[in-house]
Amino acid sequence: MSRVILSVVLGLATVASAEPRVARDTADVGKKGSWSVGVFAPLRFAVTDWLELSGHPLLFFVDPNVTARFGLLRETPVRLTTEVGLAVPTPLMRLTQGFLFPSWETSNNKVGWMMVPRAAVLVSGGERRKHVWTALAEFQFRVGFEQTNAGPLTSFLGPLDLAFAAPLTGYVGRLGGAADFALGELFRLRGELNVHLTGSDGRLVVNGVGDVGPLPSLSPWYFTGHLAVDLAVGKSSRLSVGVYYANYDSGASEVRKGADGLSQRFRVRSANILPTVDFIWAGP
Amino acid sequence: MKRLCAIFAALGLAACELPADPLDFTRKEAPIFKAQAPRPTPPPAGKALKVMAWNVKYGACRVDFWFDFWGDRVQLSRTEVEDCLTGIAKLIQEYDPDVLMTSEIEAGSKRSAYIDMVRFILERTNLNYATYVQTWSSRYVPSEGVGRIDLGNAIFSRYPITKAEAIRQQDRTDQDPITKSFYIHRAVARAELDLGNSQTVVAYAVHTEAYDNDGTKQKQIKQIHELLKAETKSWVIGGDFNELPPVCDEKATSGADSCEGKLRLTGFLDERASATGTMYAQPPYTPSVMKPLYEDFVPSVTLAQYGVGDAQQRRYFTHSVLGPDGKNDDGVPGYWNRTLDYLFAPKGSRWESADVIQEPGRLGVSQDALRLSDHAPVAGTWVRP
Repeated sequence: MSRVILSVVLGLATVASAEPRVARDTADVGKKGSWSVGVFAPLRFAVTDWLELSGHPLLFFVDPNVTARFGLLRETPVRLTTEVGLAVPTPLMRLTQGFLFPSWETSNNKVGWMMVPRAAVLVSGGERRKHVWTALAEFQFRVGFEQTNAGPLTSFLGPLDLAFAAPLTGYVGRLGGAADFALGELFRLRGELNVHLTGSDGRLVVNGVGDVGPLPSLSPWYFTGHLAVDLAVGKSSRLSVGVYYANYDSGASEVRKGADGLSQRFRVRSANILPTVDFIWAGP
Repeated sequence: MKRLCAIFAALGLAACELPADPLDFTRKEAPIFKAQAPRPTPPPAGKALKVMAWNVKYGACRVDFWFDFWGDRVQLSRTEVEDCLTGIAKLIQEYDPDVLMTSEIEAGSKRSAYIDMVRFILERTNLNYATYVQTWSSRYVPSEGVGRIDLGNAIFSRYPITKAEAIRQQDRTDQDPITKSFYIHRAVARAELDLGNSQTVVAYAVHTEAYDNDGTKQKQIKQIHELLKAETKSWVIGGDFNELPPVCDEKATSGADSCEGKLRLTGFLDERASATGTMYAQPPYTPSVMKPLYEDFVPSVTLAQYGVGDAQQRRYFTHSVLGPDGKNDDGVPGYWNRTLDYLFAPKGSRWESADVIQEPGRLGVSQDALRLSDHAPVAGTWVRP
C-alpha cells in the first residue's frame, strides 16, 4: 500500500514544473490574482501586488476570521509585511461547550461575545524560490462585549491552548523565526521556532456569586517548533509533511523517589510531538 | 506510545504523558511521602490507635459541581481550594488521628487548582507520612472542560510507612470504550505502618464505584472482603464504600429481611429529578453486599447501634450531595441522609468512642464537617487484640 501511495505522489511530483516552489509563510506577498489554500493552511488571495487577504475556510462559519497582509517593502533584498486580522471565536467556543467548555446548565454563566484583533510584522530575506529566512512578531488580544466565565483551556494539546489563548487569557504574543530551503526542484525544507507569551490565568468569576478568587497560576510561556518537508506536486501545489513540537506548562507533576525510599512531587512542563500533513493547492 | 514518550523523556525534552492513563496494573508499589516540617518521632504505639476515614470531595467543600445536578461548576479558584483544605486540615488536627484514610483527594487536577492535597494535609497536621494511590489519571478529560485529573486514595500516618501498595479494582463494563478510558480506575491503597517495638499494622483506604449499573461496585466490595480475609498482619480499613449498611436484604420483598421501614433505599432528600436517566443517576443500592464485612469483621458502628429507620439511623449518616445552604425541590435544606462510609477492623479488635463527625461537638471537634465535604468523617479508637 505504501509503495502505491509513494508511486502516486512521485508520479504527481514528476509533472511538477522545473522551478522550485516559493517559500511559504514569509513576508512575501503574491502577485495579483495568485492564491493558495490547504486543508489546514489558510486561503490566501492576492488582491493586488501589495495586498493579500487570508482566512481559514474550514473554520470560517464557526470562527469568522480574516487577515489582510500589506507588503510594505516588496522588491528589495529584505521584505517587510504587516498583517492585521480579526476573528470572532464565540460561536466555535459555544459549539464546543460540553467538551472543551462547561455547559453551565443550571446557571447563567456563559461564553460571551468577543472579537480577537490580530497584528503582525514579518521580515524576510533571501530569494523566494531559493533560501528564505523570516522573522515574525505577532500579537492577538481579546475585545470582550460580555462576561466570559471560562478560564484558560489547559488541554492536552499546546497548539489548541494557543488557539484559545487570546479569547481566554486576554492576549497572546509570539516572536518567531523560520528558515526555508529549496532542496533541488521538488523539495523544500522548512524549520520554524517560536516563543509565545499568553495572558495571565486571571480570576474565576461565577455569575450570581462573583469573583471567587484567582485561577491556578501556570507558566504563560510556550515554546513551539515545526519542521516540514514540502514536495512539489502538479504545476503549483505541494504536499507538506512535518513534525510539530510544543513545550508548555499544563499543570503536570511527576513523583520522584529518593535514595531514602521517600518520594517527592515536582511540577514539570509538558510536551507535544505531533505529526503534521497538509496539501496546499496554489495558482496560478 | 510509551516507548516514544520514554525516548523523548530521555532526550530531556519534557514530561511525556498518555492522554488517559489506563492504570494498567494488578498490584504495584505506591509512593511514600514525608512531612517536610520537622516533627518529633512518636513514641511506640500502644494497643489503641485513633483512626479516621474521610472522603474529602477534592477540596471543593460545598461548591456544587455539574454532576451533582445542584450546580454546574467545573473548576475552583485557588483560594476556594486552599480555604476548604484549611478547614479540612483543622478538623483533622482537632481529632488528631494516628491514621487517616482519605478518598477523593487530588494531587494535580485542574478543577482543584493543581494543588497537591497530600502535601497540604501533611504539612498542616500531626501526620508525618502518607501514601497516595492514583485512581484517575487523565491528562485531559474531554467533558465539560474538566481537563487534567489526578485523583486517588491516600493513607496518612503518624508512624512511618514502610511499604505502600496500590491494588487495582475491577473497571466498569457498562461504558463505551472512550468514556471508559477517560473514567476512574478504582484501586485500593495499602500501607504498612511501623508502630515501633516491632509492631506493624496495615491500613487500607478504599473508594468503590458510585454510578455503575453492571455490578462493578458489588464486585469491588467482594474483592475488598477477600483482600482483608487474606491479610496476614493486623489491619484497619476505612473509606467510602458507596453502599448502605446491611440492615436488611434489598432482594426480600416482604418478611423479616425486607427493607420496608428499616432502611431507606430510594428517595433521598438530596436526589434531583434532573439526574434521572443521566450517567450520574444513583443506581439501586444493594446493602446485602456489605453483609460479609459485618459478619467477618468489626465495624466501628455496629448494626445494633445503627438501628432501624431514618430517625434512629440519622446520627450515623455520612453523606449528602446537598449542602446546608441549599434546598431540595421540596424546600428541605441539605443534611446527612445516608451512610456510605465505614471503618472495619479484624475480629478480636474493638472500637471505642467511634462516631460520625456530623457536626461540631462530636468527638471534641469544633469544625462543621457539613460545610467541608459531601461526606462526614467516620472516626474511632481502634483497640487491637
